[in-house]
Formats: sequence, structure tokens, C-alpha cells
Amino acid sequence: MLLKNLVTKESIEAVIELMTDRDFEAIQNEQDRFDKFDWSLHTGEEVYKLRPKNDDKILGLMRLTDHTDPTINAIEIALLEVSCENIGSSKTFENIAGCLIGFACRESFKRGHDGFVFLLPKTELIHHYHDRYGFTHLPIKTVDRPEGLMILNAISRKLVAKYLE
Amino acid sequence: MKTYKEIAKKHTPAEIAGSLVFPSAMSAKERESALAEFSQFRKQAADKLTQKEKTISLLLQLKFLIEDYVASDSFDGSRHFGHFLKEYISRLDKKNKEFAAEINVDPTELSQVINQHRKPTDKLIYRLDIHSNKNFPAILWFRILEKERVYELTHNPEIIDKEKKHVKMKLKFSLQR
Repeated sequence: MLLKNLVTKESIEAVIELMTDRDFEAIQNEQDRFDKFDWSLHTGEEVYKLRPKNDDKILGLMRLTDHTDPTINAIEIALLEVSCENIGSSKTFENIAGCLIGFACRESFKRGHDGFVFLLPKTELIHHYHDRYGFTHLPIKTVDRPEGLMILNAISRKLVAKYLE
Repeated sequence: MKTYKEIAKKHTPAEIAGSLVFPSAMSAKERESALAEFSQFRKQAADKLTQKEKTISLLLQLKFLIEDYVASDSFDGSRHFGHFLKEYISRLDKKNKEFAAEINVDPTELSQVINQHRKPTDKLIYRLDIHSNKNFPAILWFRILEKERVYELTHNPEIIDKEKKHVKMKLKFSLQR
């Protein structure tokens, strides 16, 4: 998969791998770069890192939950964070989150979940996840909690092709 | 750690959606309710899948399993060329004889390759590439064979040693010293 450096205009190859204990320690020491969520709570869980192929510097993190219950049969993106320097108008690399979401879609196919991926969104972000990635909003049938779920299925294949190939 | 409100002071919702997925703030009961809704949706979506979509899903799974296997350092004797070829044919819901006819290969040859009694020919691999409409390119199939070959040579050096008698002259130095 390729990341575009918006400063140099070069594309670099990136890889997505499972986090190791050492990686979790490294992230703890880089809380200025990953300052939104406490990733130390998820040591030993299924957490992936995205890094440049020729560099150990972690650019993005994603925690997945594999729902193997046949009635769910999907991958949940439980947590995702792009490093601070890659968020907003002055970011260095583009598509880090897209690559991670594409990877989640790929894992969904690989594990026999037919590309079904979901996440539980903040209300404020519902239509942004739809606009940016094509998530479908499935509201829960209560008026009080409109967040519901954001689901990828038909579009999963396209996201894999767009971000990973 | 930061709340959405704190983050939203610095970034727009679009920027946040493009870089973060927050942990769910739902209670256990709300989450259970959400998963129940998803479960219904999932069932309805699965019931609507066409045969073509089911086949695509099965083939994508196979392709990703092959890609990750050839990229890994580990070797698994059960995941050989013949195994993956058999999976390809099976996921297309075809019988060996029917598939052999589609790529104009003798069914006996196909069976022997699947059961590891003979190696696949280059011709067979090129036809798999074409049959799969390049979804399973020849390079991918060759990478499976290469992995098997590397394992074989690493663990059976006598394969090379038995050719000693045919080599009349060899270099007298080693590049490693």
C-alpha cells in the first residue's frame, strides 16, 4: 500500500502489522504523537500498526474485534488513531486511516466475514464516515441514541482496491 | 486522553472522521441492542447475496489467504500448490473434470498436481492466470511453488549434493570468508 507525502509529493510503501509489546511501550513514550486514546489499555489485544516499509515509526493504530458469532460474522473497528502530525490541514501523509480501514475490510474477507465491517460512531461523525469511506448508517431503533452503527459491506471490495492495491 | 469536545476545538469533524474512530460510549445494554440490530441487518444482507457475490467473497478469501501465506516466513506442508488449486476449483463449485476441460488439461494431470504426485507445468499456471481473469495471476501461483522449493532445498541439501558427480570444476573460494 502507498502513502502520499503531501510535502515532498513522493509516495512511500507502508505495511500494517500486529503490535508487539515493544511497540506498546514505544507508543507510551510517544504520547505527544498518539495523545487521543490510551492504547496501553489494549496490550495483548488485536491492535495493528501502520508504518512506512523502511522505517519503524508508527503512523497509525487500529484495534479490531473479530466477531466470529455466526449471527454477527463481521469485523468491528473498535478504535483507530492516526498520529498527530498526520491529522488536519498540515498533515504529512495522506490515507493512513483509509489504509487501516481497507485492511479491516481485507481481514473481513480473509476471515470469511464477506467484507462486513462496522464501527460505532460518534453522532457528529456519522455523515463524515459515510462521505469519506462509504459507510452506511444503521440507526438503532431508539430515538435517544441515534448513533447506531456504521457498516461497510458492498463497498469493502472497493476500499481494499483503493487503499491496499 | 482526550474527549471529542477537546479534539473538536482543533480539528473539523471531517478531519476527525478521517483520522479517528472513538471507543464506543454505549452501555453494555445499548451495545447489545446495537449488535442485535446489526445481526438482523447482517442476516438480511446475507440472504440477498447473489451467487456471484458469494463466489467473489470466497475467491477473495482464498486470494488473501494465499497472499499472506506466501509473504510469511512460516512454511506449512498442508498449504501446497495442489491444496490451493483444489480450493480454487472447489470455490467455483466445479468438479475437477469440468475444470480440466475448461483449461484444456488432462484430468489425470490435474488430479496428480492436486495430490502432489507431480509438479504443475508452466503451461498449467499460465492457464490458471487466464481462467481467473488475472484475479489469481501466474506470479502468485509461482510464489507458492517457490516457497515449497525453498523449503525443500533448505531441508534436503542432498538434492543438490547428488549432482556433485556432474560438476567437473568448481570455484575454489567462498564469498563469505
